[in-house]
Amino acid sequence: MTENPSLVGQDISGCEILNKVAEGGMGAVYKARHKALNRIVCVKILSPALANDKKAVELFLTEARAIAELDHPNIVNVYNVGKEKGYYFIVMSFIEGQTLSLLLKKNKVLPIGLVLDLFEGVLLGLDAAHEKGIIHRDIKPSNILINPQGQPKLVDFGIAKKVDKEKGSTKTTELAGTAYFIAPEQALGKDLDTRADLYSVGASLYYVLTGQFPYNGKNTIDIIQKHINDPVPDPAKLRSDMPGWLSLAIQKLMSKNPDDRFQTAKETYLYFKKMRAEDQLRVKMGNSGRAIDLGEEGPLRIVKEERRSTESIKKQRMEEAAAVSKRTTSSSRLPLMPQLDDSVKAASKEKPAKAPQPRVGMLGAEEVKPVDVFVPSKKSAAVRFAKEPSLETSSKNWVTKMLLFLPIFIVFTGGISYLFYKLGTICSVHLNPQAGLFSNLIMPFLAPEYAPNQMLLTGMAVAAVALIFVFSTIKAFSRSTTLWLIVALVSYMAGLFTPQVPFMEIANAGQYIFTPEYYLCYLVFTAAWAIGLCGTINRTLGQRLLAAALTILAMVLVYLSTHLAIPPDTQEMLVKIIFYAGLFCAVLCCYYLASRSEKDSILFPLVLMFAAGIGIWAYSISGLAGQINQTLNSFTRLVQVKESSPATANAKMENLVGLDSRRQVFASITQTNELTGMNQEEAYAFLEKQIDKEAPGVLDEKTKPLFIRFLIDYYKSGKSKMQLSVWDYALSFPVENFNRNAQNNNAYFFLLALLYVFGALNCAGTIFFSEDL
Amino acid sequence: MSSFDIEFAAVTDIGKIREKNEDNVLISSDLGLGVVADGMGGHSAGEIASNIAVSVLAETIRKVNNQQLKIPDNFLPKLDPIERKLLMAANLANAAIYSTAQSSDIYRMMGTTLTGVLFDKDCATAVHVGDSRLYLFRDNKIVQITTDHSLAMEHVRRGLLTRAEADRSKIQNVLTRAMGIKKNIEFDLLKFPVKVGDVMLLCSDGLYKGLRESDMADLLKAGAQMPIVKLCKQLVRVSNENDGQDNISAVLIKILPAHKVTFTQRIKKFFTKK
Repeated sequence: MTENPSLVGQDISGCEILNKVAEGGMGAVYKARHKALNRIVCVKILSPALANDKKAVELFLTEARAIAELDHPNIVNVYNVGKEKGYYFIVMSFIEGQTLSLLLKKNKVLPIGLVLDLFEGVLLGLDAAHEKGIIHRDIKPSNILINPQGQPKLVDFGIAKKVDKEKGSTKTTELAGTAYFIAPEQALGKDLDTRADLYSVGASLYYVLTGQFPYNGKNTIDIIQKHINDPVPDPAKLRSDMPGWLSLAIQKLMSKNPDDRFQTAKETYLYFKKMRAEDQLRVKMGNSGRAIDLGEEGPLRIVKEERRSTESIKKQRMEEAAAVSKRTTSSSRLPLMPQLDDSVKAASKEKPAKAPQPRVGMLGAEEVKPVDVFVPSKKSAAVRFAKEPSLETSSKNWVTKMLLFLPIFIVFTGGISYLFYKLGTICSVHLNPQAGLFSNLIMPFLAPEYAPNQMLLTGMAVAAVALIFVFSTIKAFSRSTTLWLIVALVSYMAGLFTPQVPFMEIANAGQYIFTPEYYLCYLVFTAAWAIGLCGTINRTLGQRLLAAALTILAMVLVYLSTHLAIPPDTQEMLVKIIFYAGLFCAVLCCYYLASRSEKDSILFPLVLMFAAGIGIWAYSISGLAGQINQTLNSFTRLVQVKESSPATANAKMENLVGLDSRRQVFASITQTNELTGMNQEEAYAFLEKQIDKEAPGVLDEKTKPLFIRFLIDYYKSGKSKMQLSVWDYALSFPVENFNRNAQNNNAYFFLLALLYVFGALNCAGTIFFSEDL
Repeated sequence: MSSFDIEFAAVTDIGKIREKNEDNVLISSDLGLGVVADGMGGHSAGEIASNIAVSVLAETIRKVNNQQLKIPDNFLPKLDPIERKLLMAANLANAAIYSTAQSSDIYRMMGTTLTGVLFDKDCATAVHVGDSRLYLFRDNKIVQITTDHSLAMEHVRRGLLTRAEADRSKIQNVLTRAMGIKKNIEFDLLKFPVKVGDVMLLCSDGLYKGLRESDMADLLKAGAQMPIVKLCKQLVRVSNENDGQDNISAVLIKILPAHKVTFTQRIKKFFTKK
């Protein structure tokens, strides 16, 4: 709590700060020595918390200047005011003495004459201030300093209080003024005038003379409210030696209504003077009972307050509250619950007869809330629930929609399917059995010359794709975009790879349902579904679980569809790694799909799903690749290809690429042998001859071209290139196998049928459950 | 958490003349919590106090929910868990503000009001200190649930001032209770059942100074179909147009029927694109 400890010892406005005297909300007061005058002064520093508040600072300074102007023996003198080193300060005279409250504490009982002497001084000082229009606002014994000469000095002159007031609506927990001495109008926040200070003078007098506060209570609010409300106590009851006039004067000063008090400090001062003189006189003359003219004042009149105390009012309030069963807020100590429901019941019973009770007393009309506020209107509740769409109308809707949209879907899907099948059939003439799957798919469009009608059908196919996207804007079909694209692709492939099978020929599908080709169909179907779910934002719980289950199923199907007669090559380390990586991806994908959808992105589970699929796929074909590699290893030992002499190799190279870049070419070729420089056909013929010579009958006619291709890679580009080609071949083997067998088992059309049925169901579901299509 | 769907909206505005916004609001549908705090005190301290109030309150509730923090067994054992949770959070927030206020000169004298409401099942529990308010709008009628801890309202309660006088009074801004002023303060704790259609308004004094209760009720009635964020902004805007002398903050909370998901709805949800 030490504020600015560094300030002690510093210089502010030519004053050396000695030590802290007091601290308040507005700042701290320091004892200081004025260096030039060599005199002890008092420096008040505005709290740094307020130093940035322009308004506060402005008022701090104006007010200080105003007091400096006063120059009254009963008001503390201000020497200087300003800002230095970032601190706003007021330099005042330092009063070597004590406050009145301290004096009272020390002496318990103060002689009435002394008290009156002091208060006369206070009243004079106050009068001077009031003439300048300055209201102290916080007259209390601790703000009255008494110097060694017994002269009272008013301090803490309204600075803080005025600032508080002018800060307007800034919230505070401090009321300007001290609760024990506060004027009722001040406590009520009404407009103040100088007479508020007189009330405080009265209250202070009461306290100083009797040693007791005029009002006491359990907390500040209580005391404040007693100032406002309770009758003025009679100080004479507490002090027998108090003259009657003084008791009455105090009561007059403490009148609730400012109009009933003395109107000015001067008037009070004069009255005190006069009454004291009279007392003196009475003492001198003996108590002869001689009437003394009170002048124009007349006898002191104490206005009788309405006889009511805070307690009585509180009691009355509580009774009223009980009568109306008013809601009450509860404190943490006493957790009451506003029984809304009960009041609802009670009120609804009585409601027709009973209007909200008229309130008596001073309660504002606004404060009283009618109790029937919570009565629920039955009508409105009924209306609210009637808003639920009735079943009848909705059922009608979906039938119409189903009749409208489902046929469109079926026809459109069939149309796409047939169109792309036709395109595939026409394009099948460009098919190259040596080329890979992907190049076969796009090769028809890159061919030097097109088949008849190919251009037309391609155009139609492009139009169909555009139409797919247009159709997907219809809500009934909105989920079918992916499906249609897959149907188009599958139909095209069906036409391309099985051109002689009639469209949608699936008659003998039953006998093949547990073959790897059909598993591949299921895989495409499952994967399409899973991918569709991955793409759904904010999946529901069901969707999340389904997506995860589908992913697992897809992984199983990947394994089954690629699982050939040859078991996986579990000896190879790489294969193991691939397998576990794939498994890990699958688990992670499931986790992401099944977990809450707020943290999942669309792309991440998709990538994981593909990675998992590829991993498992690679694992299950690893047996095939391993076997081919083994065979090839023995072949490379059998088939001898001579190292060509550097001279011939050089000559060939020069012929091929010219002298300059020869070195670079050599650098890039790992091996040079007889095959180097031969073109594909020459190399093929050469190797075929070699194989026939070295290992006749090992390869049949079907596999021979394949193996020769791998061997060419081996001799031309090295072992790693060969292994890559082997893996490439093995990875696409299931698809090639599928294409080859699709001629017999109609796998393509089986897949198409699956997609078709699923699509129709999906569409029907969307229509059924969507209110607006 | 709650057996209703609860929509939250919060808006805070600096007002026309203030240089800084000392109000802080917080809404969290996760916690089912809405809070308004109106800071007070020196230099920049008001906004710090209100900030600490809302953040410590929310953080404590979150920690208690996540079982990272346990309510001591001897902490008001007679209250129900929600009340204890809220009250402890408020007490911790007060302690945090108080210790910050004591730590530095700049922060001395800072304090804040706090009005927060926490939803659980079909009840709302409110914690309150200061002159921010919680209103309940039900069946087209608006009721102030909380009691202002201001001297003016204290006078009104005792019948020393009328409500109308209090609204004009200069001591409106004198609070009888606030956070950060004392080490231990007393909070009002209120628990009341809510029902579908209720709208709750938490607001700082800036809002109700520019907007009479009847006007609030009219606005809320007219905006029943409006998105509550829009409605909340409108309340603040209208208040600012009328008065604007202070920072204006409002948190609007609407109780909607719980989204009971039937089997068909589940399937429907599955098929409808979002």
